[in-house]
Amino acid sequence: MQATLEDFFKALRGSDLDVSLNAQVDAARAVQLVGWSDRTLLKSALGATLAKTISDRALCDDVFERFFHFESFDFEKALAPQPPAEPASGAGPSEATAPPGDEPAKSQGAAGSGGSGGCRGGGGQALSQLLLSGDSAALAKRMQEAAREIGLTDIWFFTQKGYYTLKIQQAMGLESLEREIADARRQTLAPEHARRLELARKRLYAEVRNYVERKLALYGTAPTRQLHDDFLLSQRLSNIEARDFARMHVIVYKMAKRLAERHSRRKKRRVRGQLDFRRTLRKNAAYDGVMFETFWRAKVVDRPRVVAICDVSGSVRQYARFLLLFLHSLGEQVSDLRSFAFTNHLVDVSETFESLPVEQAVDKVMQAVGGSGTDYGQVLLDIHEQLLDDIGRRTTVLILGDARNNRGEARAEIMQLLYQRARRVIWLNPEPVAFWGLGDSEMKHYAPYCHIARECNSIMHLERTLDALLRAHSASA
Amino acid sequence: MKSFHQPHFDSVDVLARRFAAVDYIASRGIATAVYLGFNLEKPILVEGPAGVGKTELAKAMAQILDVPLIRMQCYEGLDESKALYEWKYGKQMLYTQLLKDKLGEMMAGAIGLAASMERLHAHDDLFFSAHFLEPRPLYQALHQERGCVLLVDEVDKSDPEFEAFLLEVLSDFQVSVPELGTIKAKVKPIVFLTSNNTREMSDALKRRCLHLHIPFPEPALERRILERRVPGLSAALNRELVAFIQAVRQLDLKKQPSISETIDWAKTLLLLNAEHLSLDLVRETLNVFLKFEGDIDSADEQLPALLNQARKDAEIHHASHA
Repeated sequence: MQATLEDFFKALRGSDLDVSLNAQVDAARAVQLVGWSDRTLLKSALGATLAKTISDRALCDDVFERFFHFESFDFEKALAPQPPAEPASGAGPSEATAPPGDEPAKSQGAAGSGGSGGCRGGGGQALSQLLLSGDSAALAKRMQEAAREIGLTDIWFFTQKGYYTLKIQQAMGLESLEREIADARRQTLAPEHARRLELARKRLYAEVRNYVERKLALYGTAPTRQLHDDFLLSQRLSNIEARDFARMHVIVYKMAKRLAERHSRRKKRRVRGQLDFRRTLRKNAAYDGVMFETFWRAKVVDRPRVVAICDVSGSVRQYARFLLLFLHSLGEQVSDLRSFAFTNHLVDVSETFESLPVEQAVDKVMQAVGGSGTDYGQVLLDIHEQLLDDIGRRTTVLILGDARNNRGEARAEIMQLLYQRARRVIWLNPEPVAFWGLGDSEMKHYAPYCHIARECNSIMHLERTLDALLRAHSASA
Repeated sequence: MKSFHQPHFDSVDVLARRFAAVDYIASRGIATAVYLGFNLEKPILVEGPAGVGKTELAKAMAQILDVPLIRMQCYEGLDESKALYEWKYGKQMLYTQLLKDKLGEMMAGAIGLAASMERLHAHDDLFFSAHFLEPRPLYQALHQERGCVLLVDEVDKSDPEFEAFLLEVLSDFQVSVPELGTIKAKVKPIVFLTSNNTREMSDALKRRCLHLHIPFPEPALERRILERRVPGLSAALNRELVAFIQAVRQLDLKKQPSISETIDWAKTLLLLNAEHLSLDLVRETLNVFLKFEGDIDSADEQLPALLNQARKDAEIHHASHA
């Protein structure tokens, strides 16, 4: 029982559902309470204890269906049924389609009573006999026991399929089957028998392979995806392929949420501040100085104000997508964010980001604003005209761009103004530091007027920089 | 700390029947979650659209166990002093004023400040004792002799700070009051938390609870609920009404009608002595179960089609049962 439950938890983890130890204990106790006999009851008991949100619940139910879907061999067409085997093969499918509700209990009971002897001993029957008689229920049972014995639940990568398929077949008694086939071949009397056995072996292989594939889908999805995610995190943003964009959205969204959560908590330390003694005394003078009414000094909650300005020109095209994506995600978390995008003039995109879902918003901004011929000078002039008044000592200015100005005027003096007015100016540049100032890059001119100027070209960079930024921000608040 | 041993429930079905006995028709999922929450002594976080009976569930549970229901409505700005306890500051002040003379008497004979303080210390925590404590819902819930059902309503409306404060209560059924020490529940209360999903609850909170999502009911369940809640309703009207509401829920509405609205509408129709749904009747009573002008308009447009479909569904159901 316990082993089955543990396998089920493994399968859940395989589907990206994090099951805490606490929930596992609850689930085990719940199963003790409701028992294994009623499938729907078991399902809802496991769902209630393991899933913590609606989507988790749907996922949990889905995994339940796949996990407690009992494997059955589909043999009756493959092996030309010999007359005496007729009833057996007739019983096979009916067994397989029997109300699945009973099956967990049945197979569990069998596994328990089968004892440690395991599979080869099973019902005492040779594999070949089982195959030839088409006893699909017994075969399925033996396959599961074999899988349990070799630890199929550890499978997590598709290249392991072959290995596990072979191991399961061996545990089911492939060796003796092979021997029997060899014997049958040598005996010229029974060519028919040998042929049937070979066919049976092929079917066995196909069935086991199918089974392993299903289990791989059950246990192996999340670890593989995790591996892929780790790869995406550290990969240069320009090298990420279009097909991974959707995955990146999720990663970036999670990151933005994490950052916002970590740093917004610290902000709201205490709304009710200290006792305002003067006010309290003054107000209570009427009560003979006895303090019936108290007044508290309210603490002003400092909300971070962020103005983000993002270059979407051709030279940073590959990065721009992710930077916009990040801005969009950040906008959902940070209360006061204004976003701008530019190529050669400044465009306010806050509205677009607020009203549209992420994919559309990013595409729309890229289309509307993107292009070639960056003009940082003009953009800085725009900032000077449109934005400078709004930037005060509580504002953080975040600039994302490569500072490649096409040999235009740098207008670093506006950067200086920004630097003097804002709490912080942060410049994230996708180019490595060694390239700053080479060619038409004006980064060397801008960098002195930034509190932080950093290279930033992978998601990990982005997270680290922003984490440091937000931490510094709240510490100085 | 005791827990409820009596009455205990043998199985999920027994609990479902007990719910039915107090006129709460629980689906299997609901009954399972409550059964588990009861037996594992875990709070239940109930989510779902407004009006599907989240609060009713807690009330029904209190009725079954025959214990008081203590309800704590959450809102933004709710804090410890409103949820747990508060010192009766005014009363403390008043008493010190009234007892001024007594204090003087007590102090008589004490020489010097130190000696006076010593006298006072002999009566130290007089003003911070249970007499001056204003118990709020959580405190009350922990103090019930026979246990209770604690309903933390709309927990998603509270601040994250308050949510963190709830954690101690939910996992250990105890709270710490600096002046009094740790207060443990006399009998572990059955806790329900309801949420309308206006914000996501923290993982820590979710981990301590069983999760129960109550969706809009299936037609069969909704018919059973109506049978219970609106006794005089004819079977035919019940079928038509439920089929109609189910059809309306398929529309793209701002606020879909839920069970409470279905019940209201059924009561209305009963008052009007209706036998069947007719176009005019539905049109006149739309506002009973649709709460927005826009919703009423869009339903009104499709009324004939909806009504036709509802009649068909009701007939199909009737035929399959006959």
